[in-house]
Amino acid sequence: MKRTIIYIIVLIVAVLPAYPQEEAATLRPVTSAYTAEIGDARLANTYLTPLKYTGWSAAFNYERMQAMKFNPDKWVMRLAAGLTLDGTENPAKNADMWRLVGEFSWGMTHRWRIPCNITLAAGGSTGVDLGVLYNSRNGNNPVAVEAAWTVNLTGYAAWNTRIGRLPLTLRYQPTLPVAGVFFSPDYGELFYEISLGNRSGLVHCAWWGNYFRMENLVTADLHFGATCLRLGLRSNVLSTKVNNIVTRVVTTAAVIGISGEWMSLNPSRGIDSKARIISALY
Amino acid sequence: MLVLLAATTSCHKLESWSDSQHGNFEALWSIMDQHYCFFTEKGVDWDEIHSRYVAKVSDDMTDKELFYVCADMLNELRDGHTNLSSSFNVSYYRKWWSDYPENYNARLVEEHYLNFNYLSAGGMDYAILPQNVGYMRYSSFNSMVGESNLDQILLHLNVCDGLIIDVRDNGGGSMTNVETIVRRFITERTLAGYISHKTGPGHDDFSEPYAYYYDPAEAGRIMWGKPVVVLASRGTFSAANNFVSIMQYRPNTVIAGSTTGGGSGMPFNSELPNGWGIRFSACSVLDAKGNTTEQGIEPTPGCAVDLDPVQALDGHDTILDFAISYLTGTSFAYNRQ
Repeated sequence: MKRTIIYIIVLIVAVLPAYPQEEAATLRPVTSAYTAEIGDARLANTYLTPLKYTGWSAAFNYERMQAMKFNPDKWVMRLAAGLTLDGTENPAKNADMWRLVGEFSWGMTHRWRIPCNITLAAGGSTGVDLGVLYNSRNGNNPVAVEAAWTVNLTGYAAWNTRIGRLPLTLRYQPTLPVAGVFFSPDYGELFYEISLGNRSGLVHCAWWGNYFRMENLVTADLHFGATCLRLGLRSNVLSTKVNNIVTRVVTTAAVIGISGEWMSLNPSRGIDSKARIISALY
Repeated sequence: MLVLLAATTSCHKLESWSDSQHGNFEALWSIMDQHYCFFTEKGVDWDEIHSRYVAKVSDDMTDKELFYVCADMLNELRDGHTNLSSSFNVSYYRKWWSDYPENYNARLVEEHYLNFNYLSAGGMDYAILPQNVGYMRYSSFNSMVGESNLDQILLHLNVCDGLIIDVRDNGGGSMTNVETIVRRFITERTLAGYISHKTGPGHDDFSEPYAYYYDPAEAGRIMWGKPVVVLASRGTFSAANNFVSIMQYRPNTVIAGSTTGGGSGMPFNSELPNGWGIRFSACSVLDAKGNTTEQGIEPTPGCAVDLDPVQALDGHDTILDFAISYLTGTSFAYNRQ
């Protein structure tokens, strides 16, 4: 009897599934960047003026990238926010036009790590642009509103390399809206009429035929220890035509700022020595 | 590939002109051609005008010579809201008032009716005339009038049997002041008029007229429900013209004096390659019956009065006298000794 019980216990233990060993923790640091930008701007808005204005552009941008929790090796999220101020003059230099725009976008890309430390990513994002153009010489039509919500194609190509002993990450990130909605008054509609309650026909579906925008961002992150010096170039092109009103914004700016990877740590837990760190960009 | 295709097909064309005398002339003509709102109403053949005036332009003419050719071309529109601005001059079509009697003399009123003793607030000069009639002079709708100002003015004039609102020679200003003032004289939501804007560059590309309404001033504000006479002249223009167009339909209100100057097109601004600015009527405002008031508003039947220059020499404003007679129900005719 005693021998039978022992045989049964051994049999049960033999067929029970083995408990898996606990997996190493996955750490997903946030890659954040704060950048200031300065460059040139070319503006046109036929609601305000038939002429092209030229001048300077300045911006402050914040970017946050993190590998996604559900599949950190393959998916990366990106949040971007920025504020841009353009100051321009007409060709005769006796009138000025200002543009102040805030932008926010969030998206996800699927990435593929290929040989030579190159990462390619492609995906989508959604974003909101909100701002105004102000022409100082105009009376009843001094302001044009720039307001849009778009769904975009985006992605990046990144190359982790070195210059001598200095680690360097080069990246190219384009963003291309493909659809959305945007605001425009009618051809000769005053904001006064809108303020009196005439709100029809102000929102338009955006597609490449009436709303084309593309942003190209090239950055180089020079890794100095835990913090990187980010240098780069950003160009933005916006061209819209609706209600016979044409708007064109072209800005090109040099980028300088800092970037780095940050993690939230719980001092009471520390970091698992077997933790696997999955970077969003580096 | 997809991006390149998108980029090449999606940059929208911008019209441009050279910064030459011909280029600036064509820019001016084109801006007006695409945006001006009264070609059809005024019977103006803008293409014919182009043919006539382009022949006067040469690339070696001076800027001042070009300016006067352009100004003469704009005068064909007979529009006081259309001005070409340069560093040395602003063009201005004056005939909408200069071809008519002025019908207003500020000194005459201040000396012989107000005795240089009146109150001023919110751009308004006001007093109680000896006939127990309130008098309110508003010389420009550019002067911001506040709700508290109107409370004080109407409270002070509250004892009067009637009110004269004098907007003669008022060249206009802010439309928001029109609403601020009118709201004290209505007791319910009132159709003020219609706005029709351009929907495209064609001469007849207009939106359906949009009705806009004014509500009475908020509860607690001083209102005026007694009779009103609005004094108007050819110098009553733009926002002042709009004020008259609304008040004319108020019950117990008449318009006295002469036909107003019009100016019912709300202006837009634009510019030429050489930096000259152009202002022009772009958006038509109609009265509550859908009538255009660009050519002015006639006085109420029986209330057309001119300022008699002979009586003025003796200190009488015959238009103001008419208004006083109307409100008091007594004859205030001047008897010349």
